[in-house]
Amino acid sequence: METKTKLGLVFFPAFDWAIAPDHPEREERLLYTRDQIREEGLLDLPEIAEFRPQIATRQEIERAQICVPSVEKVCTESHLIAAGGTITAGDLVVSGQTERAFALLRPPGHHALRIVHGSRGFCTINIEAVMVEYLRQRRNGRLRVAIVDTDAHHADGTQDIYYNDPDVLHISIHQDGRTLYPGTGAVNELGGPGAYGLTLNVPLPPGSGDAELLYAVEHLVLPVLRDFQPDLIINAAGQDNHFTDPITNMNVTAQGYARLTELLAPDLVVLEGGYSIEGALPYVNVGIILALAGLDYSGVREPELPPAAKKAGRVHDAVVKNVAFLQEVWAKRKETDLAAVFGRDDYFRRKRHLYYDTDDIHEVQVEEIKLCALCSGYRKIHSYAEDRHRKQAQIAAVLLPWHACGACQQQAAEAFEQLCAEPEWDDVYFQNPADLKQPLVSRARRGKR
Amino acid sequence: MSALIGIDVGGTNTNGVLLKGSLVLKTVKAPTNHANLHAGTQEVLTQLLAALPEKERGPVGLHLSTTLATNAIVEGKGVPTAVLIIPGPGLRWEDLRVPFKLYPLAGAIDHRGRETGPLDQAEVRAAVRAAKAAGYQALAVVGKFSPRNFQHELAIEALIQAEFPEMAPVTLGHRLSGRLNFPRRITTAALNASIAGIQAEFVRMVEAVKDQYQLGKIYLLKADGGTLALAESVNRSIETILSGPAASLMGTMALAAELEDAVALDIGGTTSEISVFSGGEALTEREGAVIAGFPTLVPAFFSRSLGLGGDSQVTFDGTEVAIGPQRVGPPVALGGPQVTPTDAVVVLGGAALGDEQKASAALQAMGAPFGLEPRALAAKIVAAFAQKAAAAIRAVYAELNNRPVYTVSQVLAGTDLKPKRLIGMGGPAAYFIPKIGEELGLPYEVLPHHEAANAIGAAASRPTFAITLRADTALEKMVVPELDYTAEIGQPFTFNLATARQEAVRQTVNYAKKMGLVIDSSEIEITEEEVFNMVRHFYTVGKNFNLRAQVKPKIRRILPEQADA
Repeated sequence: METKTKLGLVFFPAFDWAIAPDHPEREERLLYTRDQIREEGLLDLPEIAEFRPQIATRQEIERAQICVPSVEKVCTESHLIAAGGTITAGDLVVSGQTERAFALLRPPGHHALRIVHGSRGFCTINIEAVMVEYLRQRRNGRLRVAIVDTDAHHADGTQDIYYNDPDVLHISIHQDGRTLYPGTGAVNELGGPGAYGLTLNVPLPPGSGDAELLYAVEHLVLPVLRDFQPDLIINAAGQDNHFTDPITNMNVTAQGYARLTELLAPDLVVLEGGYSIEGALPYVNVGIILALAGLDYSGVREPELPPAAKKAGRVHDAVVKNVAFLQEVWAKRKETDLAAVFGRDDYFRRKRHLYYDTDDIHEVQVEEIKLCALCSGYRKIHSYAEDRHRKQAQIAAVLLPWHACGACQQQAAEAFEQLCAEPEWDDVYFQNPADLKQPLVSRARRGKR
Repeated sequence: MSALIGIDVGGTNTNGVLLKGSLVLKTVKAPTNHANLHAGTQEVLTQLLAALPEKERGPVGLHLSTTLATNAIVEGKGVPTAVLIIPGPGLRWEDLRVPFKLYPLAGAIDHRGRETGPLDQAEVRAAVRAAKAAGYQALAVVGKFSPRNFQHELAIEALIQAEFPEMAPVTLGHRLSGRLNFPRRITTAALNASIAGIQAEFVRMVEAVKDQYQLGKIYLLKADGGTLALAESVNRSIETILSGPAASLMGTMALAAELEDAVALDIGGTTSEISVFSGGEALTEREGAVIAGFPTLVPAFFSRSLGLGGDSQVTFDGTEVAIGPQRVGPPVALGGPQVTPTDAVVVLGGAALGDEQKASAALQAMGAPFGLEPRALAAKIVAAFAQKAAAAIRAVYAELNNRPVYTVSQVLAGTDLKPKRLIGMGGPAAYFIPKIGEELGLPYEVLPHHEAANAIGAAASRPTFAITLRADTALEKMVVPELDYTAEIGQPFTFNLATARQEAVRQTVNYAKKMGLVIDSSEIEITEEEVFNMVRHFYTVGKNFNLRAQVKPKIRRILPEQADA
């Protein structure tokens, strides 16, 4: 009998696409990784099979995000292929064709928020979210997912999308936001009223290495995963914690990444950032691939290890403290008085200023979440964006969660009609990920666009 | 145009053909003498030369397709061979799935060809001594990323020549292929080293009779359907593996009326081979040939084997007919024990072969318990055969159309290989091919059986070879591993893709010259090219180029009506 392929590799280096010729997210990024994978002969191993990515459809993107004014306007084909590649990977695992899958592709996506006015942190389409929503739809919404984001930058986009979703646990381990883009991801960001405690953030101080990263995984992530019992574990595997990365300040090695992968044993891995294209990516990716395929990765090492790499054993105090705090949050999350956190009104409101560094767009967003006892509550978002040419966009959106209760469905529909009647919006959107054919309805206002 | 001889030394027969231009002057067949391969070959050669008209006398070129290398490998006749490897970091060398004794050495080259760890000469000596002491008679030397920087391999070769001349020559991995794949390069180099002695002896014997027969240039057929100069084959004998199937495909190409986007099915007794043509050219394997289960970097035609043939086992459970992959033949009609697809054809009157009564009785016995007449069951068997072959052909196209691609434009363009015709070959082809063509909805053609097809294929082939050019303007370095060529890039700021192309063509022409071929630069084509801007700390520091150049594959068309003469 044929044994199941361990690892499906959806490799797509997009050799003809760049944000700009000298941008870190450029053609060359996965070139040396390609060379290393080929020279190691990994694609000949019976444990590993390579697959071509599909192209994501508009519906598949719109199940996860709201692109303003439309998917076509904010995306290049490359974004659709990267998102499609994660769908290909997800399909491999859910259909049982391979045991695990690694979407080793670009461009990345974890800074892309629910509402998309453009590109931020090199990201436009949240490729993990597109995959998760695709798989949930395949399973009629009956799927519990854990996303563990190990990029050096806080996964603010993925966090934003799943911040109030009780079926998706999102854990981000990253360089402390006070020292690195995007600045968020503090320990006290714990999720919305419908999913409190299911957003966890472990900031690591600059200079952290394998010891800190693995400490957070062993002492927080693994116990939390055992509790949460997800159907799927997804690792958003940024590789910019590496000691050679030019835009972060961390000290993780290829061995650290491979060990992390082995411990986490994710079903799906999606490449995120990582811009040390010669010194880190070839080695880190080979380490991750070997670990995922169940092969010995102990021979993988960089030509030169960092002199500053810390000896294992001594873990930075700040990490120990943060992990202890989050352990307690997790243990007590069900006893937390949500009224004390989110107030006693019918709605929880928050107002945020968001910045799109890649496209230089400023956005102010006001969000209301219905505090509902039966479901996680529908949401209403008002978003005002302005780009560097002072071009403005004002949109409103109503979002239904998966498994919305009857009352929320009705109120959301009413809220949408009401917003459509208001003159100030350029576009009004209604998102329902459970709708098979049309997850997003958009109404452009006459005379506006 | 001078005359040319093609000889295919097959498992049963040695076939020869004398060509002049596109005309077949004579074909000759003799049983292959396994005890003395050269005796059979010489007999064929003598007969062919005798057919040469007086006025055509003069040196006659010879293209030879032999099973020498293939058999030496499949039968394990090569000498005990060890490989000195420079594995560097990465997949542990202990985990390499290569069937050779490996001696790992210190030293490392990275993906850009920079030395990241030095070679240790004392360790090399110790390894060679150990290999010798363990009884290994041939050595290959292969470093990780050696196509990017082969100085370590060259240094080891020099050391062995100077200090262990009895172990020389050694096979160096980088000379056999500029493609990146360390495990395959190890296998390719080791197999090459193991049969180098056998090949050298063969070359000596052929050279010895060259004058006796007034032969001109002698070439050997390779797995990719091209030829290799006899003298050069001493260094690259591994490239002559699988020349039998290559000769068959070249024969098809030389004889078929129209190939364009055809799928070819060669139906044999045990298996059927599927080959694919696109734009009239046979597709090649992406990485290289697989021989005796070993993946190599040897350029070869793409082919997929299907456990379905005229002698396959047939079972019937009352509703479904299952065929293969086991062989049970010969057919009952020829005195075999069990029903085969060939028996079904015989019962349906598709082939006058053996004892039709016996075949019919066997089908009667198989169908009777389910109330099925022999002819009805025979039709079911033929239909099942056609469905299985058609499904396999569809699967091959699905595989080809799903080959990974690495650019946005390639994903958007999609790969759209589609068969437009079906070409059949082999004994049982005449009967099955129309049914398979129907199943696939394709027009079909069955090539008339031509005993000398392989010999014609060998004669119709031309020299092929490919080189890899890697240029890195940030390191100001350029290499062509197949040619041991390393050069400084003197003007890194003006070195561009046009320069790289010119250089690749120039190197290929030089290589041809070295092998005694006159090839014009217009006959060279660039088959792969990549250029990447290299940006470090937001500044462009250079470009790197990866190119492959080859002699354009060409084939001599043979006129079928003359071929039958």
